[in-house]
Amino acid sequence: MSRSFNFLPTVKSGEATRLLPWVMAIMVYLSALAATGSLLLHSGFDNWASSLQGRITVQITGEDKDQITAESLEIQKALRQTPGIEEVRILSDQELKTLLEPWLGSGNITDDLPVPVMIDVQTSEEAYVNLDALESKLKQISDNVYLDDHAKWLSHFYNLAYTVEYTALGILIMILLASVGIVIFGTKSSMSEHKNIIAIMHLMGAHDQMIAKAYQKRFMYYGLKGGLIGLLLSFITVYGLLNLVQDLSGGLVETPTLPYLKMSILLFFPLLFASLAMVTARITVMRELGRMV
Amino acid sequence: MVEFRNVSMSYDKGHEVLNDISFKLEPGSMHFLTGPSGAGKTSLLKLMYLAQRPSCGEIMMFGRDVAKAMRDELPKLRRRIGVVFQDFRLLDHMTAVDNVALPLRIAGGSGAQINEHVEELLRWVGLEDKMLSLPSTLSGGEKQRVAIARAVIRRPDILLADEPTGNVDPEMAERLMYLFVELNKLGTTIVIATHDSALVKKVGAPRLHLVGGRLLHIEGNKKDISDFNVGKERDQ
Ligand SMILES: Nc1ncnc2c1ncn2[C@@H]1O[C@H](COP(=O)(O)OP(=O)(O)OP(=O)(O)O)[C@@H](O)[C@H]1O
Ligand SMILES: [Mg+2]
Repeated sequence: MSRSFNFLPTVKSGEATRLLPWVMAIMVYLSALAATGSLLLHSGFDNWASSLQGRITVQITGEDKDQITAESLEIQKALRQTPGIEEVRILSDQELKTLLEPWLGSGNITDDLPVPVMIDVQTSEEAYVNLDALESKLKQISDNVYLDDHAKWLSHFYNLAYTVEYTALGILIMILLASVGIVIFGTKSSMSEHKNIIAIMHLMGAHDQMIAKAYQKRFMYYGLKGGLIGLLLSFITVYGLLNLVQDLSGGLVETPTLPYLKMSILLFFPLLFASLAMVTARITVMRELGRMV
Repeated sequence: MVEFRNVSMSYDKGHEVLNDISFKLEPGSMHFLTGPSGAGKTSLLKLMYLAQRPSCGEIMMFGRDVAKAMRDELPKLRRRIGVVFQDFRLLDHMTAVDNVALPLRIAGGSGAQINEHVEELLRWVGLEDKMLSLPSTLSGGEKQRVAIARAVIRRPDILLADEPTGNVDPEMAERLMYLFVELNKLGTTIVIATHDSALVKKVGAPRLHLVGGRLLHIEGNKKDISDFNVGKERDQ
């Protein structure tokens, strides 16, 4: 209807709205970090969970090394005959050693240490293995056999992961709400700065929409500018942190890999904040103007 | 074109600055609005350019009661009215050219056509070398001429001028008055608030005289004033 026409003066140095792009940059920065953290955790967790999926660890404990070795061979045989089980493998002493070393310290693992035998079992994806039935079957061979399908661990970690993700989502929503509040403040302060100009525009026959358009354009630009700066800074931060982790760990700890595809959603953050600023500014201006004579 | 029926007005529920005003202006007429300082001339014009609403009474403009117009109808009505404000009200951040072009841009015009038109008018009011000046660098009289150019650029149906010659020398005053008379000849209804009695005499248009918020009398020689109902209650 009414074409847009930028009648607003350039922002003066003393104006509060001058700070707005920077506040938006901080907002986008924080929300990008929250989202990255959540995505990183999510993908790391997914990798880890899927590696545990379909895995059963069978543990045979006992004082007598020879006895548990004999039992474990029998159990291995029983497992191989169980339908739905694809792979059965007794972990070698060396493997056990590497597993235990971080806990006991190297050199402390002596031959007379009662180390259990561990059997790594991979079930096929389609089959469902009844763990209770399997356990009671194996108990007939040895009393000291324990089965772990990691379900308990997994559910703990699922809980943790969900909590972290919902927290990140909550943070994101709070940041968005705060941004809306800041844009409302900014719009109002900008309008009172331009009170005379708005009055003249009205007297010359300008529609409210024309006035709103000038503001929504300006605030959209603030959101976009701030958003791009904030996003860039967040990328720099994330890469910096990852590099730091890599350097420190020296390959010991697995460096998290960025889920690039999912992270491309972050590219929309500046647009999201820009549209949010635009819509908020428009609504604010229209409401303020509606209150005038 | 304009008819006031028992109009009173006050600012923010204060005392009435205009009291029971009734008159009628024919389309294409030209009037002066006179009276001592504080009499309510600017206030009366504000009612006409729809910056204020009356506390009571009816104001008929363009065939409708603008006192009751909805907010979103005002822009359309205001675009038919040109105003020279007593304090100019130019946009400080815009050049003279842009200030004058403002009403055209608001109405949706754009491009070189506007500028050509605007520059021609600015040349006519003697501001050819001030086109790109900001208002803050202009003298009072120069600002006044920019304000006048802005008021007439859209060829309004009604031109309301509040002390349009208060800051210029007599020669320029006459030149501006000539512009108003020419516009009037083209059909624009004109009301000019002024203290300059010499100018009123010279142009000889009828005069609405306000004192203390009341319309006291109308004097005029050139035009028919029988349409005015002044100081009397209208029977309705
Ligand atoms: N915005 C306002 N708020 C409150 N009172 C006002 C306002 N503007 C004007 N008045 C009062 O209204 C009365 C009429 O003022 P107005 O400006 O209409 O006078 P005027 O005839 O134009 O005077 P002048 O010749 O000095 O321009 C004055 O008493 C003035 O104090
Ligand atoms: Mg006045």
